[in-house]
Amino acid sequence: MNATEPTWVWPRAAYVHVPFCAHKCGYCDFASLAGADHLAERYLAAIGREMEAATGGVPQEVDNIFVGGGTPTRLDADQLGRLLAMIRRWFPITPGGEWTVEANPGTLDSAKADALAEGGVNRVSLGAQSFQPDLLRALERNHAPEEVGRALELVRPRFNRWSLDLIFGVPGSTPENWVDDLETALSLGPDHLSCYGLVYEKGTALWKQWNAGDVESVDEESERSMYEFTIDRLEREGLAMYEISNFARPGHDSRHNLVYWTNDAYFGVGLGAARYVRGVRSSNTREIFAYLRRLEAGLDATGPTETLDPESRARETSILMLRRTQTGIERADFARRTSFNLDDLLGEPIRRHVSRGLLEDDGSRIRFTREGLFLADTVLCDLL
Amino acid sequence: MAFDPKFIRNFSIVAHIDHGKSTLADQLLLQSGTITPREFREQLLDDMDLERERGITIKARAVAINYVMDGQNYELNLIDTPGHVDFHYEVSRSLAACEGAILLVDATQGVQAQTVANAYAAINNNLAIVPALNKIDMQAARPDEIREEIFSTLGIDPAEILSCSGKTGQGVPEIFRAVIDRVPQPAGDPNAPLRCLIFDSKFDDYAGVVIYMRVVDGVVKVGQKILLMAGGTEHDVISVGQFRPHQVGVDELGVGQVGYVTANIKRLSDVRIGDTITEALRPATESLPGYQEPSQVVFCGLFPATHNQFEDLRTALQKLALNDASFTYEPESSDALGFGFRCGFLGMLHMEIVQQRLERESNLMLVQTAPNVTYEILTNKGETSLLSNPTRIPDAGEIEEFREPIARVNFILPSENIGAIMQLCEDRRGTYLKTEYITTTRAILSYELPLAEMIYDLYDKLKSATRGYGTMDYEVIGYKASDLCRLDILVAGEKVDALAIVVHRSHADRRGRKLVKKLRAEIGRHQFEVAIQAAIGTRVVARETISALRKNVTAKCYGGDISRKRKLLEKQKEGKKRMKQVGNVEISQEAFLSVLDDSDD
Ligand SMILES: Nc1nc2c(ncn2[C@@H]2O[C@H](COP(=O)(O)OP(=O)(O)OP(=O)(O)O)[C@@H](O)[C@H]2O)c(=O)[nH]1
Ligand code: SF4
Ligand SMILES: [Mg+2]
Repeated sequence: MNATEPTWVWPRAAYVHVPFCAHKCGYCDFASLAGADHLAERYLAAIGREMEAATGGVPQEVDNIFVGGGTPTRLDADQLGRLLAMIRRWFPITPGGEWTVEANPGTLDSAKADALAEGGVNRVSLGAQSFQPDLLRALERNHAPEEVGRALELVRPRFNRWSLDLIFGVPGSTPENWVDDLETALSLGPDHLSCYGLVYEKGTALWKQWNAGDVESVDEESERSMYEFTIDRLEREGLAMYEISNFARPGHDSRHNLVYWTNDAYFGVGLGAARYVRGVRSSNTREIFAYLRRLEAGLDATGPTETLDPESRARETSILMLRRTQTGIERADFARRTSFNLDDLLGEPIRRHVSRGLLEDDGSRIRFTREGLFLADTVLCDLL
Repeated sequence: MAFDPKFIRNFSIVAHIDHGKSTLADQLLLQSGTITPREFREQLLDDMDLERERGITIKARAVAINYVMDGQNYELNLIDTPGHVDFHYEVSRSLAACEGAILLVDATQGVQAQTVANAYAAINNNLAIVPALNKIDMQAARPDEIREEIFSTLGIDPAEILSCSGKTGQGVPEIFRAVIDRVPQPAGDPNAPLRCLIFDSKFDDYAGVVIYMRVVDGVVKVGQKILLMAGGTEHDVISVGQFRPHQVGVDELGVGQVGYVTANIKRLSDVRIGDTITEALRPATESLPGYQEPSQVVFCGLFPATHNQFEDLRTALQKLALNDASFTYEPESSDALGFGFRCGFLGMLHMEIVQQRLERESNLMLVQTAPNVTYEILTNKGETSLLSNPTRIPDAGEIEEFREPIARVNFILPSENIGAIMQLCEDRRGTYLKTEYITTTRAILSYELPLAEMIYDLYDKLKSATRGYGTMDYEVIGYKASDLCRLDILVAGEKVDALAIVVHRSHADRRGRKLVKKLRAEIGRHQFEVAIQAAIGTRVVARETISALRKNVTAKCYGGDISRKRKLLEKQKEGKKRMKQVGNVEISQEAFLSVLDDSDD
């Protein structure tokens, strides 16, 4: 454990996963568990062991922490307090560091909000998704639109920084619906917004309906216009796009997310959690009992592991960095981090996409053009 | 010491595909003690990756074995040959190095098209034939009926026909005895100047060209200076040996023996299949007859998928040509695809195998155009030319007569399927010749068909129409004038030479419509709208439009699961690997091949 190693080798960030949820949303393919709350105590014990093992028993200082799920706020206030204490013990945060916890509108109460604030959390990410009852139903979310505002009343007095998550392209939605959703979200005064396009992930309940033809996806043109509207509207509101689905006022970028897009290292603990440590990507099993039993037996719960060769790692770095829509790929930074010269490695596809008007190159950095944002995957897969 | 020719027997094993040649060869190796039971594995001689993956023999393989019978040690040189019709050239080359052939017939399947074709090839080479029923261990074996079939199709006396099982080894000692008794010993003069027939070769990075040969006269030895008669080059023999089945060095090989010679030959073009090796100091006056060049029936363009690999492809073709003398290649340049080669093959399977071997053995990635046959064009000016590339076919106004190759096709099939196959042939502009009954339930049906109507997919159609019981064989018999035309494809307003095909005029509009539909499905969406048109001359017969791609971005939260995100993109990329940029449009390998597909879906 070496504090002098660069941030892309040894982590300065930690992700902690809490899988419990009130019920399983139709589109969800995260490691989430409905009706498993009785396992919470076992889970906390297991994750404590995992943190100890991941740090080698030596607390590792980090610059940011993200507690995601699942629904972390599904834990009760006492459990939350204990979880945060364990995190503080193994991943002490530097002064001024960012500590985010995900919360779902229906599950937050003042006791839990207090537990978060007292535990050291300084940023909350609230999963609003939509403000329209029928769209929330299509997503099989089990909260009501009003609950977002209520949750924010608990969040605002305690936390300076908070964010809302929204989803566009929900089946049955129109560009007008989306305008409504975005305006409602803006009326709540966020400094940070994440706007995700719905993906039909294989195996989810929503995918099954869609695959069977019972649900129809929003047509491409509407989806494009929703995305286009998002970029323009939020820009006007002072929330600049800094990543393909993330928007923030200056100084409100999610530093933890930027760890991913910079291809820096991070710890990851909890069910299904992914980590990237010393060039090795791995993730834990998504089976709760396998996870619990392995940790209870003093074993680790790592599943798929992957170590990329230097060239593949450099290519991966390029596709991650490009997602940062303002920063893009800085040639000097890229070379420093990967030991590859960007133009030697990717000159051909970059030039091709510059000539098609999907990328722009000012000599020192490469970024998406506005048109490029809409065809980002077309560009990214050519860089792999 | 060379082996006494009196006790040498050289023979091939020939049969229809899958009738068990390689499995019988396993038994011959095992029962002669050439391999131990521990070294045994099924179809041991099929050692090329592609052979094992597909479960078929592609290359003929020669092996020397020793077998003791009645106290006498014999050297038997056997060649296991492929059964698929596309590799018939391998069979004919093997037969020329032998005095006999085991003709195997699957006792459950009976006489099939390549049984007849290969038996006649052996008879025409004046070889002694050892006929045998194979797979007699199987429940479904019908030995008596099948003896009758062999008699009625080939005139072979049922009493001469042996029975065996390559699986259990039953009857194999009798096969050895029959080979030794019936196959004549090799003729040849040990004191005459050296003459060896080169029947195959391969390239080895260390040893250079490894020549597979049979000694006809004289003795070949390590240290000898040899002369390759057709090429006129001289080389010093570095090693001589036999396949047992792995290369085993010996000092010399004499009359009738089969093996290999290396002579540090690095220039691939020095060695030609069918050439004669002689001694440089005492050259033979006459070379051996050699082989008839095979005639290729399907042609396609092969282009490197990445640019700057043209020379690599040339080297790969040269190397492969050493080990497969039956395909042709010549440089071609396409507006759409750049520099590549026009290659000719003995059939669709052969084409597929050559492409895969080129890719694997030389680590290349290729883009292939749809295959076509050769056309003969008589122009207004009275000039006749053979064209194996649709792009080179002149405009209709300059053509006096458009001629296509015609094949004579023999189907061997259950008589109940005759009607269905006749219908298939009529739909494909066939001319009925005759029907002959082998037994009351099986018949040989003969047709004349345009080669282009049969070569691509008739075999598959036959298989499905006869539930696998029908087989076919064909022979190109000449060219015939026909009402043909070139169908051009325009993508985004540009004619794409590599997509042009030749069609019968009466089908042109229908084919054109189908084709643009297929291409619409195969060519991915671009940032802009792409029009696809089919045209005969200046007349557009069909048009489709591919709408523009408006959004392709996954704005999703993957948390830290970067591997997953990358894998999704890699999947998207995989489909793009064999893409060629034509103007502004990217065209995939599938699109190039889809022009051939005339099926409805
Ligand atoms: N039961 C049984 N199966 C056999 C026998 N001989 C071969 N087979 C099976 O028949 C199939 C084809 O055998 P091969 O030896 O590969 O046939 P082949 O004639 O060499 O085929 P090609 O070289 O591709 O023409 C294999 O699945 C064998 O296991 C036999 O005597 N009895
Ligand atoms: S709340 Fe989030 S993690 Fe839980 S089921 Fe719904 S989408 Fe999945
Ligand atoms: Mg075989």
